[in-house]
Amino acid sequence: MFKTILRTAMLATALISTSAFAKETVVWWDFLGGGDGVRMKQLISDFNKENADKIEIQPTTLEWGVPFYTKVQTSAAVGSGPDVMTYHLSRLPLGVTTGALSEITAADMASVGLKPTDYSEANFKAGQIDGKQYAIPFDIHSVVLYYNKDKLKAAGLLGDDGLPKGLDGAENFTAAMKKLQAGGTQYGVSIHDGAGDSMWRIFYSLFGQQDGVFLKDGKVLDGDNLAKAIKATDVIQSWVKGGFAPPAVEYPASIALFTGGKAAMHINGVWEVPTMTDLKAKGSLFEWGAVPLPTFFAHPATWADSHAFAIPNNVGHPMTAEKKKAVLTVIAWMNKHSTFWATAGHLPAYNAARNNDEFKKMQPNATYAKLADTAVFDPSSVLAGVASPVYDAAGNFLMPAINGEKDSKSAMEGMRDDLQGQVKK
Amino acid sequence: MVQSRRPEIVTALILLAPFLVVYGLLFMYPTIRMVILTFTDSPLIGTGNWVGLANYFRLFSDRLVSASVWNTLYFVLLSVVPSTILGLLIALAVNRLKGWTQSAVLAAFFLPYILPVSVVFRIWGWMLDSQFGIYQYPITFFTGQQNIPIFRTLWLFMPAVAFITVWWLIGFNVLLFVAGLRNISQEIYEASELDGATRWQQFTRITWPLIWPITVLVATIQLILQLKIFDQVYLFAIGGRIDATMTMVQLIYRTAFQKNQGGYGATIAFILFVLIVVVSVLQYQLLRVREQK
Repeated sequence: MFKTILRTAMLATALISTSAFAKETVVWWDFLGGGDGVRMKQLISDFNKENADKIEIQPTTLEWGVPFYTKVQTSAAVGSGPDVMTYHLSRLPLGVTTGALSEITAADMASVGLKPTDYSEANFKAGQIDGKQYAIPFDIHSVVLYYNKDKLKAAGLLGDDGLPKGLDGAENFTAAMKKLQAGGTQYGVSIHDGAGDSMWRIFYSLFGQQDGVFLKDGKVLDGDNLAKAIKATDVIQSWVKGGFAPPAVEYPASIALFTGGKAAMHINGVWEVPTMTDLKAKGSLFEWGAVPLPTFFAHPATWADSHAFAIPNNVGHPMTAEKKKAVLTVIAWMNKHSTFWATAGHLPAYNAARNNDEFKKMQPNATYAKLADTAVFDPSSVLAGVASPVYDAAGNFLMPAINGEKDSKSAMEGMRDDLQGQVKK
Repeated sequence: MVQSRRPEIVTALILLAPFLVVYGLLFMYPTIRMVILTFTDSPLIGTGNWVGLANYFRLFSDRLVSASVWNTLYFVLLSVVPSTILGLLIALAVNRLKGWTQSAVLAAFFLPYILPVSVVFRIWGWMLDSQFGIYQYPITFFTGQQNIPIFRTLWLFMPAVAFITVWWLIGFNVLLFVAGLRNISQEIYEASELDGATRWQQFTRITWPLIWPITVLVATIQLILQLKIFDQVYLFAIGGRIDATMTMVQLIYRTAFQKNQGGYGATIAFILFVLIVVVSVLQYQLLRVREQK
């Protein structure tokens, strides 16, 4: 009797351990702590349900920015990093120099049915360093122009299609803001001009609209790029100087100025779309919309960055083939189900996730989706990207110029010299 | 005699060993490694090449280093001196209260001290916000100017952050001073009253000399704490003109963690270490001179 029980118990244990062995666990780190984090948790739980007998994602959310990237770097160096993680494409060059990332080959991608042509070219290439792929894009996020439909309509700036008209070109934009203020609105536009990062996003869009090259071959703002940078700064500065945008506004205040009706327009990231959607659903927001930034110079262009997936280079703990397959399966699944991710405001990087009816009905996402075609990404350099020296320099030089504390020319020269001094000789 | 001492030494060593091992392993060894790090071009993780004194020479040409030293000292001046003097004044006032009113007032002053820095940052950031801050009304009333972005106006930045720091941490100083004042025997005051001493004489001849050791203690604690200023300045400056308001610990963080230059970061950290030792020893000695007079 006792023997039978023992044997059954042993058999049961063996069965459990084999099934546990066959099921791969994928340790996942991300930095998505906001409204988009809630949506990511939904995706992860959907994946775990669908793959209940094969793969299990074990997610952890860490602090966004420098803390996240420091932890990734230190843990990968001692082989205790995650199996997969989210990563900003703009941060990729610094990540690769520190040796924290593993290469993802074309064969790896093909094994789970992903192709380079599934993504827009600029977006996909932003995942490469020296021709090698280190990250697979998941979304594109950018800045858009939020607008108050009631106010624009009253000022005759709304077309029959409900979209703003007559905003392209620096003079027209200023004229439009004048009309809006003449109609009794306190400010034409609210921007988060109390910080360098938000100003960098607008500046880099306007700079990209002139085909400016910020950093190339170790040269910062080389040749006529300096003049283009000054022009871009002048435009944003003129909004503050002219009294259309209040100076040195903090982030929450810049949103509140718009949602509270003090400003008719607002320039901010697509990640604030859920904020507006939720406010509207509660009945405490006017009719609103979001469109790509107006074209101030030669052609449309908007700053963009990407959340992407990367595999850390865990020193001393190379990944088994089975584990790698599981990780790639996770990445591919997430991309193929990323239409849902668009509800967080982001544009899915995976083309097919944008080219479907579900996405095309999603507003205002579908309206600003075209900005992905003309998106300009941060320069590919260890100096650029999230929480980088470029962002710091934007706070030190660009932001004070926009708020009228410095003139555009000396600010841009200062920014150039500061960053040039940090280029590795 | 000589022979009998040997076992004592052995016993002493055995008893000291746990402390020595832990102290050596957790404090001395990392400190020595940090000093060695200053002679290399190491990244944040891993080893680097020996570069001799290159990091030290670089300190002199790095304008951020000199800026951060001045900003740190400026902040120390703006926070340590007021928080010590105000702490004493508040403690003197609190000490004259009796019973539950004293406890209530003391608690009121101590309350901000228990808040985490992130909460302090949010509270003051919002109260002083240029668009929606409640303090903009009195500021407009007194200066006639509207919507002043306090944390984005360069000359207002350090005084504002120092003011908030004093508000935040003064409760602890008050507590120390109150404890010190209670230690002064009531009999001395009574005796002086019989001799016809005025209130002012009582303060200058009795309270001040007897509270002096506590004053030295408070000032030294504050000095060391504020030389390591990071949190508030970092939080209020995010996205702003951080080069102009950079403090030393902030520069170390930026160099080592953000720019991945472990060796150079360690060099700046070593300079801060030396600075703290020199300034605090100097201050302690200076203040003791007064005591011995």
